[in-house]
Amino acid sequence: MSVEIKSETIDVKGQSVILVSVRGGENAIGTFSIGSNSRDGVLGTETRLLYIGTDPIINMTCSSGASKKSDKLMSFSPGFHGYDQKVFDVLTSAFLSLNRGDSLTAGLKGIFSLLQDGVYAVYTSDYYPTDGNGTFFWGAYNTNHEVHGTAEHNRITMSGNVYKPCFLIPTQSMGYFTARALASTEEFVKKRRIHGIVYHVSGFHSALLKGHHGAVACTKENIPYKCAVIEKISDPYTEKIAPVQMVENQEEENGENQSAPVPPTPVPVEREGITGFRSPSIKIPIEAFPKDMLNIIVNGLSEYKPPHFEVITAKLDSVRKKAVTNNIFSNEVLEKAEQMPDAGMVESAYAISSLSDEELNRLLAGDVEFNGKVIISPNFYSSIVTACNFLQFTDMKRFIDFSIAIMDNPDLSATHEYVAQRVLSQEKNTKLYNFFKSAAASGDAKYEKILPAANTFLKRYEADNRR
Amino acid sequence: MAFCDLRPVRVGDDKAGTTYIIGEVFAVYTFGSQFPAIYSWDMLKSVSVTRKDMTFSFVGAKKNFSISNKVFNSAEDVLRAIAIIEHRQKIYGFEYQHERRIFPLKSMYYEVSPGKDSYVGEGVLDEADTAAALIVLLDFKLMKFLWLMALLVMLVMFGILNYVLGMTRDNILYIILISLVTGGIFALLIYIITHAVARARVKSFSGADLAAKETITFVISRAGFAACESCVYQNHDLVPWDAADYFVESDKMFIIFKGKTPLAYIPKKAFPKKQIGGVADIIALSLEQR
Repeated sequence: MSVEIKSETIDVKGQSVILVSVRGGENAIGTFSIGSNSRDGVLGTETRLLYIGTDPIINMTCSSGASKKSDKLMSFSPGFHGYDQKVFDVLTSAFLSLNRGDSLTAGLKGIFSLLQDGVYAVYTSDYYPTDGNGTFFWGAYNTNHEVHGTAEHNRITMSGNVYKPCFLIPTQSMGYFTARALASTEEFVKKRRIHGIVYHVSGFHSALLKGHHGAVACTKENIPYKCAVIEKISDPYTEKIAPVQMVENQEEENGENQSAPVPPTPVPVEREGITGFRSPSIKIPIEAFPKDMLNIIVNGLSEYKPPHFEVITAKLDSVRKKAVTNNIFSNEVLEKAEQMPDAGMVESAYAISSLSDEELNRLLAGDVEFNGKVIISPNFYSSIVTACNFLQFTDMKRFIDFSIAIMDNPDLSATHEYVAQRVLSQEKNTKLYNFFKSAAASGDAKYEKILPAANTFLKRYEADNRR
Repeated sequence: MAFCDLRPVRVGDDKAGTTYIIGEVFAVYTFGSQFPAIYSWDMLKSVSVTRKDMTFSFVGAKKNFSISNKVFNSAEDVLRAIAIIEHRQKIYGFEYQHERRIFPLKSMYYEVSPGKDSYVGEGVLDEADTAAALIVLLDFKLMKFLWLMALLVMLVMFGILNYVLGMTRDNILYIILISLVTGGIFALLIYIITHAVARARVKSFSGADLAAKETITFVISRAGFAACESCVYQNHDLVPWDAADYFVESDKMFIIFKGKTPLAYIPKKAFPKKQIGGVADIIALSLEQR
């Protein structure tokens, strides 16, 4: 059976969403459950595998059954021996195509044919090349450990919020890293529009299919790591508010106006059952789905065992080639990874939906309430931390302004050190440079706590400008 | 999760103009409506499965959905739908009503590889063999009781004859003989009745469970056992041994018990003859024999 790939752009609450359906996919990239492993010693554990071709890549073990509320124990699979050449070629060709200027759907077509059947959302988003816990992603999964942020529904997202996954899981071992490839990639990344291709796996984490050296180079060069993201849409969700029915334009139905689609007219409808299906970053009401795509979701599974799953699982008992490597990353990369937001920060950024300037001013004045309501938390320090997380994620300019205002206020000295460490990653920002320069030069005692961070910032900024 | 890879079941009820899909979600396509009503399993309040139909009751739904087994394309589809329901019941814990079953519910299974040292057999559960196995069990329990009853009847008959006829040297042998025969006949009668009851029991639960007429895959391994319809079984699902208490072995099958209720009937003829010893060893190592 040949692979049938269809793509469609739909409008969801004014937001344009690209959907791609795959039917008869080759099942060469995906995840599946292998249940309990005899090595786990407990029948209640559930292990899922991320696989590419016939290779198991990452083991994801949940010690509390298949609970979606638990973080997973993750590690490079012992059976990983390297990609199939065919898969490698498809990934490389998709990556080159995207950077030639092709659209997401056209560029990723080859990859879609390798996926499991289903409906996928495709978009671009910036990723932090870390494991979500301050460790550079490549090499962070060599030992089995619990990775915070890998639960499908954590304490923030279980409330039904959408969130953008932003942490990485490698699909190449450290043995694949070469300093020569990195040197040439450092030149290329400045011109690339897409630095990586990722496939969402669990919670805030996605598997990096292509662009490992680019991630190192981008971190080194302070370039946002922009990825083409593929997310499967299969989770049902329910909202209490009556959804809107998208009534298609009559002309469009007749095929007379295909070049200029008119946004559907929302009509409130009363419905029983679920509201729609979602991926981590997008919720799509049933009425907004093209009919054939809805049928694929309803008649399909969220995960399929590939026909060759026994070949994959048989490799789990083998020992990984190149399990030991002498490759190391520079301290600069590792330190920068440590300063990137971690899963806890990102979660708390999703915990609030908005922060007005008035509310920020109240926080700067040392208050935790505005108009008789708690702004974020009754705890001041916690409020500052959450506000920083939220602003860093949503509005970088306000984040910088807010951080400078905090560090300039001697009454908030308890938070100075934390905030100064948080802004260290913004080492190309001139406003921060000027602030830190004047703080370091002033010798004022109120800046005492931010001086170590300020000196590091100034050193990096000046070194960066000398290059 | 065990049975997580079962393909959704599509059921078309032409009379009602409705198509149901039982899978990752429960979808209802009604003739004339533009979009289906879709329910997630966490919205399911209760489900009842009988030999004739299955009825779903969802929170917030205006009516219950009752699907007759007759509208399914095949018995395999019914069994797959039941397996999907039981798999989901394990996750979401909704109320599940069902008739008597002769094999473990799918909610008892865990997804675990049976490993290399496992025995896999296949076959249809023979009604006569099952009845015979139950009778062996019954005989085991009844034997002492039968002897006691026969002895009591003999003594009573002996007393009655002595009282009515009076014991003389001429009739004492007749009285003893008649007493013995009466006791024997009484014991035989009880034996026949209990056997008839056992056969009726097997017949009744065979009728209640669709799986009784289907080919069953039997797996015995150190990690657990399986007795599951072959059309549904996925080769990596097992019931752990701690879900059972003990087993009884007859000449034709192993019966695994949980408390007083049989959990699974495992016929010996499902396995090649040379494997029976190995199967018996694993079961005996895992469970107490009674």
